[in-house]
Amino acid sequence: MSYQFKNITVLVVESTRAMFDLTRSVLQAFGVNQVYSAYGADEGFETYCRVNPDLVIIDWLEDPANGLDLTRRIRTDPKSPNPFMPIVMMTGYSQKKRVLQARDSGITEFIVKPFTAKALYQKIEQLVERPRHFVNSENYFGPDRRRKREGDYKGPDRRSDEQPAVKAATAAVSLTSAVAKAKEIKARHDKANPDKKDEW
Amino acid sequence: MNQPNTDTFEGQKKVRKAELISPPNRLKEKVGHGGIDEAVLGKAQELLENNTVDFKPIALMLVDLLHEAISDAKSSTTTGEDAIEAMLYPAMQLKAQGGMFHYPLISEISNILVNFLETVTDTNKDVMDIVVAHKMSINAVIASQIKGDGGKVGRELRDALLDACARYYKSRKAQ
Repeated sequence: MSYQFKNITVLVVESTRAMFDLTRSVLQAFGVNQVYSAYGADEGFETYCRVNPDLVIIDWLEDPANGLDLTRRIRTDPKSPNPFMPIVMMTGYSQKKRVLQARDSGITEFIVKPFTAKALYQKIEQLVERPRHFVNSENYFGPDRRRKREGDYKGPDRRSDEQPAVKAATAAVSLTSAVAKAKEIKARHDKANPDKKDEW
Repeated sequence: MNQPNTDTFEGQKKVRKAELISPPNRLKEKVGHGGIDEAVLGKAQELLENNTVDFKPIALMLVDLLHEAISDAKSSTTTGEDAIEAMLYPAMQLKAQGGMFHYPLISEISNILVNFLETVTDTNKDVMDIVVAHKMSINAVIASQIKGDGGKVGRELRDALLDACARYYKSRKAQ
């Protein structure tokens, strides 16, 4: 059994027809039947409202209304049919500053162009298997900008209470207290039941 | 009878109001389980690599945009961040699309330009000389239809541009 991509519709908002065709061909190879196109932020929003897709892929797009503006509209415009829409930004920018800008506008995933089929698939798989919670605050509405799970971090433990020596010492202290507590209970038991001392 | 409110204390006020929402996973409901076969990924990658798009007209259009942005910056029609952003956009698109349409050398040159423009704050003569050098290099690659990495010529071109950027940073540091 594999993903049934034939059941979803995707809107690709691109800057050129050639890039749209290329992205569509990859999505179709994955099995997506219906891929809608739009060029520019305004046409993108209009098409998005009309077709209400399951996934939107957006290029950075040219100012004055760029892909970030389109993302904000999808998240906050009252006309938006689904403010929780999964949005993948696919762009030639790769600098941290740009990634943060895109993240703060409300995108769900970020892919750097040129891209590979595997990179696009992995982002879609993330959306399917590890969807983000949404945060609704006074100045932000969009996917939770922190993606961190317990167990994700593979580096050394630096927090003092996680260091091996501290852990061992803490365990030893706990064990000492437990033994002392047990001895105390046993003494009480023996005193109350002098004929049943061997039961321990 | 009114129940006493045990959630808050008198005078307690939330400073940050943020709500965490778990929306329904519509994608998961529709696509189900199982991922996709490696063979499907391979076929998709083949489609990407074997596309027959003629990138030349797209590249020329983007170079024209870059040329206009350079002219505007030089004539001070646009200044500061606006001028830099206007040059960045076509450079970024050339970087994004060159590699997709069999011109990885254009991607590499444009990437050097994007990285450079992301670090400058004004459009003085030194900056503009470097931008123009990148534009000329991209033009040369398009005119000569250098597909692939460009071999020795490509390497020399990249090294020369990186060297120009390095000299710029060094001179700025010295000031």
